[in-house]
Order: sequence, then C-alpha cells, then structure tokens
Amino acid sequence: MASAPLARSVGEAVAPSPRRPAPMLRAVVRRADVVRWLGRTGAVIPLAALVFILVVLLIESLPAIRYNGLHFFTTTVWNEGVSYNALPVHSGGVYHMSGAAFGALPEIVGTLLTSLIALIVAVPVSIGAALTIVERLPRRLASLVGIFLELLAGIPSVIVGLFGALTFGPFIAHHITPVIARNVPDVPVLSFFRGQPGSGEGLLTSGLVLGIMIIPIIASTTRDLVRQVPILPREGAIALGMSDAQCARRVTLPWVGPGIVGAVVLGLGRALGETMAVAMTCGVALSTVPGNIYTTMTTIAATMFNYLDTAFLDGTGFAVRTIAELGLVLLVITMVVNIAARWLVRRVSGIALPVGRGV
Amino acid sequence: MSTQADPAQPAEAAGPVRGRVDQAVVTAPHAATAGPVALTTAGLTLGFGTRTILSDVCVDVRRGAVTALIGPTGSGKTTLLRTFNRMNDRVSGYHRKGDVLLDGRSIWHPGVEVMELRRRIGMLFQRPNPFPMSIMENVVAGARAHRLVGKAGMKDVAEKHLTAVGLWGAVKDRLKDSPFRLSGGQQQLLCLARALAVTPEVLLLDEPTSSLDPAATQAIEELVRTLVPDITVIIVTHNLAQALRVADRTIFLNQGRMVENGETRQLFEHPAEEETAHYVAGRFG
Ligand SMILES: Nc1ncnc2c1ncn2[C@@H]1O[C@H](COP(=O)(O)OP(=O)(O)OP(=O)(O)O)[C@@H](O)[C@H]1O
Ligand SMILES: [Mg+2]
Repeated sequence: MASAPLARSVGEAVAPSPRRPAPMLRAVVRRADVVRWLGRTGAVIPLAALVFILVVLLIESLPAIRYNGLHFFTTTVWNEGVSYNALPVHSGGVYHMSGAAFGALPEIVGTLLTSLIALIVAVPVSIGAALTIVERLPRRLASLVGIFLELLAGIPSVIVGLFGALTFGPFIAHHITPVIARNVPDVPVLSFFRGQPGSGEGLLTSGLVLGIMIIPIIASTTRDLVRQVPILPREGAIALGMSDAQCARRVTLPWVGPGIVGAVVLGLGRALGETMAVAMTCGVALSTVPGNIYTTMTTIAATMFNYLDTAFLDGTGFAVRTIAELGLVLLVITMVVNIAARWLVRRVSGIALPVGRGV
Repeated sequence: MSTQADPAQPAEAAGPVRGRVDQAVVTAPHAATAGPVALTTAGLTLGFGTRTILSDVCVDVRRGAVTALIGPTGSGKTTLLRTFNRMNDRVSGYHRKGDVLLDGRSIWHPGVEVMELRRRIGMLFQRPNPFPMSIMENVVAGARAHRLVGKAGMKDVAEKHLTAVGLWGAVKDRLKDSPFRLSGGQQQLLCLARALAVTPEVLLLDEPTSSLDPAATQAIEELVRTLVPDITVIIVTHNLAQALRVADRTIFLNQGRMVENGETRQLFEHPAEEETAHYVAGRFG
C-alpha cells in the first residue's frame, strides 16, 4: 500500500515532460504499477480466503444447521441414526437416517475447557520463561534455550499426543491425580477436581498436553517482545529499589502488554484447533459433558477427526454435513476469541507508549 | 530530543516552576559545606572484564550538600555514580576492590538489603524514563513497591511530590494520562518526583539536564538547591557553569582517578592540581 503514493508521484513527474519519457523511466513507472497491484492483491487475499472458507463451510453445513437447529448447542446426543436396513427420512427439507440426532454441547464445552487448562498452565510458564531468558541467563545460554524453544514448537503434534497417551497421561493418573482427587474439598468449583482419577485419558491430560504444545509459541513470542523493552525504564525501576518481579510486573510486561495478549491469542488459537494430540489423549467420549477434570471427553476438532470415517457411512451425507457445521462452530469460536482479545487490548492498554518521541 | 525541536514545550515545562525562584535563591550555594560525611569511597578500584575503569578512588561526600562530579567523557563519572546504589553489581564481568561506606557502613555489608539501599540512595537518569503507567502511578510506583503508601493514600503522595517539583499545576487535571505525552522536561521532573516519593537520603543525578533546554535546566537546578540539606545530592555534569551554580563541593575525575575534591569555588578558582586547572580552563575556554 505504501508504494501507491510513491508510484503516483513518479507518474506525475513523468507526465508533464514534453519529450518522450526515457525507456528506463517508463520501465520504472510500469514496475511501480506492478508493485502497487501486487500490494493491493496481497492485502486483499487474507480477507478473501477467510470469507471463502466461511462461505464454503456455511454452504456445506446448511442442511445440518436447518435440521439440528439450536438443539445442536444444548444437547449431548451424538447419533447418526439407524444405518442398516433403513430408508432415509425426509424432514424439514433434509434427508437423514431415521433417529439421527446431533448435539455438540460436549464438543463445545470440551474445546473451551481444554484450552482454558492449557492457558492456565502455559501463560505463567511462558512469561516466566521469557523473562528468565532475557533478563537472567547469560547470552550464550539464552540463545541455546531459545533454539530449544523453537525446536519444541516444531515437534509434530502426533508425537506430543503419543507422549501424552503413553507416558504423561498414565503417569499423572497413577501418581498425581489420585492424591488430588481424594483430598480436594467438596465445594463448588473445587468439586470439579474430585472423582475417579481414571487411567490417564481425559480432560486433564488433554489440557496439559495442549499446554505443553502452546508454551513454546507464547514463550518465544513473549521473549522477542521483552527483548524490545528499553533498558532505561527497567533500570529506573531497579534504581527505585523495586525487585526483579516488581520491575517485570509494573514496567517490563506492561510495556509490551498488547503484544503479549497477541501471543496468548496465538497460542489459544492453536489450542482451540489442535486435533491430533487431543484426539489421542481425550478418550473420545462423544456424548458426555465432562463432570470432573479426569473424565474422558472430546473437543470439536477431535470429534471431527474421530467421527469422519463413521460419518462417511451415512448414505444421506447428513453426518458429514454435521461435521461441517462443527467446523463452522470452531471457526466462529476462534474468530470471536481473536476479536475479543483485540477489544480487551484496546480496553486495558490505556497508556500510550512513546512512539517516535525520541525521549 | 523532541523538547528542543519544539520551542513551545519547554516554556510550558518550566512554567509552574518559575514561582519557586525566590525560594531557591534564598538557599545560596557554597553556604553549607561543613557537615558530617554521608558517603565515603575507600580505595575503590573497579572494572568490567579486563578493563579497569576506576582506580583507587577515595572521596568523601558531605551530608546535606550538593556535590558535583566533573571530568572528561569516559572518565568514569557514571560508573562511580552507579556504584553508589549498586547498579553495577549485575553488569557482566564486573569486579571491584575497595569499599563504599554509607554512614560508615559498607554498602556491600551482608546486612544491607540492596532494595532498601536503593530506596535510601535514589537516582535520576540522563534521560527521562517514565514507566508505562499513568502519571499518578508513576509518582507513587516506588513508594508502593516499598509499601510506604497504600492505594488510598496514592493521590495525596502524588500531589505532595508533584508540587515539590513544581509539576502539580501542569498535570493535576491529567493524572490518569500517559506520562509520555508530557514534554521531555516535564517527564524529567516527573521522574524526580518519583525518586523523591521514596524519601531518599541521597540523590544521584547523572547529567539530569543534558537532554533539556535552558528553561527546564534552570527549573531542575533550582529544585536541586531546594533539596539540600534534607537530601545529599551528587550531580554529574559536563556543564561547569552548572557545577558552579548548584554545587557546594566538586569532585574532579580524570581517567578513573580522583584528581581533586574540594569546595566548588576553591576548585574552580584556585585548583590545587595542574590537571584540574587545565580541565577547568579548557572547558571555560
Ligand atoms: N558495562 C561496561 N562494560 C565495559 N566497559 C564499560 C561499561 N560501562 C562503562 N564502561 C567504560 O567505562 C569507562 C567510563 O564510562 P562512564 O560511563 O563511567 O564514563 P563517564 O565519565 O560517565 O562519561 P560521559 O561523560 O561520556 O558520560 C568508559 O571507557 C566506558 O567505555
Ligand atoms: Mg556518563
């Protein structure tokens, strides 16, 4: 976009010339045109892609939206209907197998809960790690840790899922959760931590695995942000006799607060949509809203993945439409979270930073 | 930088301070020079890595007086100043011999809590460095960290210290505003108010006016005179006229050595050392 005024001024400079513009000048003008054109296209592509995906999902899921109605958001059944020796039923303009009923409440609740657990774990750890890397570690060690952080971010989710299902889940289920499950008092909120600890597949394992996956995302972004905080205000805080923690909380982090919210949203987006690691550790309970933090459950992404094979067996195609509707819901949740975070940033960050003041 | 670019702002910065001139003049410089010693360095030698920055520095800083620290660039003034509140302790490769005594006690004594030491020895930097919080929160940030004031008392404390630096009139209607919208001079005054709010005994000023215009500089200088004798002030400056205006005593550093330490007028007019005479003469040209 920035090239547009430039290109125009080049054009004006050339136009009034009485002689033919030199070939080189003409080439410059033409190149500026190309740049402008490319810039405009580039700016529009993300928006167009998003609208396109939304529209396609909407069209694909339209029959499901019509038949499932609002019950989709309030019920917990997950049943494609009778598929053997049965004819499709036609109701409300939509063909489906008899007895088909879909409610995505467990998926929606599961998605939000796993991501919430992931954030509760990952945000403090990531911010702490970022501050430590920038302010405590010697430079060599800091860059080494940074490299590992980026490697960690690149681990395929199926590997993390395997680790969660084989090692991490069983470990916490045998050694950690039984103690918590037995000793937590039976009061509101905390009672969510009571119950059968299970075998290590379920909400807690999935949430923690997600947490592990988004730590490198949030931590490396936050580290880059913290690095940009100028030394002068930080030294000012130290010279006032503030502790490192006070300096971080009152000066360093607020300085890049909006950026950190952005980093958290990035991680949250990943957690909301993460499929493989959750599908491998959640226990796939398609029709129960988790009653405690140890029960097997599912998320939107995990159900879409796990259920797709079965859905294709539905000759009416209605089950696949329902999966498309699930996808639409996930996309909307992700977008709403994104917009909400932006709004939050604008609300919270009241203090204008010194931009271009040179003081 | 922006202060100098915009001629309208400095006047605004200095405005509220103007009323204090008479008051400032009453406490004439060079009057109270005799007092007990607040800070002493004993054979202080320090450096970073293989370099030695300060060698065998022995100075006394009188309590309740303004002491100027002068010397050519790179002579170690900032390093010495930052040693007093232990800001150098965490610089990588830092090593030290000798000692600094505050009220006769080593600042590295195991019983000395470094955060409390920094509360007692405040610092104002070469360039203003407000925190990313409102103007009022800026003033009380240190005081809150040291639990000198609760949430309820914030406004009173802010008013008291903003008034002390002559900034209250200019900011009283925008206490919730960003400090970065203030002019450079006003920001420096804000930082001074912030440093005063933790009730320091010693205040270290590292070229506090080097980024300010003459009016704002004058405001700060007048303020410095009002701080003594309650607070012991050490001010680094390249401006010898400024040293003459504000300082009761002056220390001349050259290449990491303390060359001369005495009453300001004496040091400028009848320097004991050739080096001092040379520097002072050269600088006044
Ligand atoms: N962290 C550091 N590591 C290595 N050398 C340093 C460090 N800080 C300062 N020095 C060196 O110490 C010497 C003295 O620096 P200092 O900042 O104390 O000088 P100064 O007298 O304040 O100079 P100026 O008047 O230019 O501010 C300089 O040669 C500088 O390069
Ligand atoms: Mg200096």
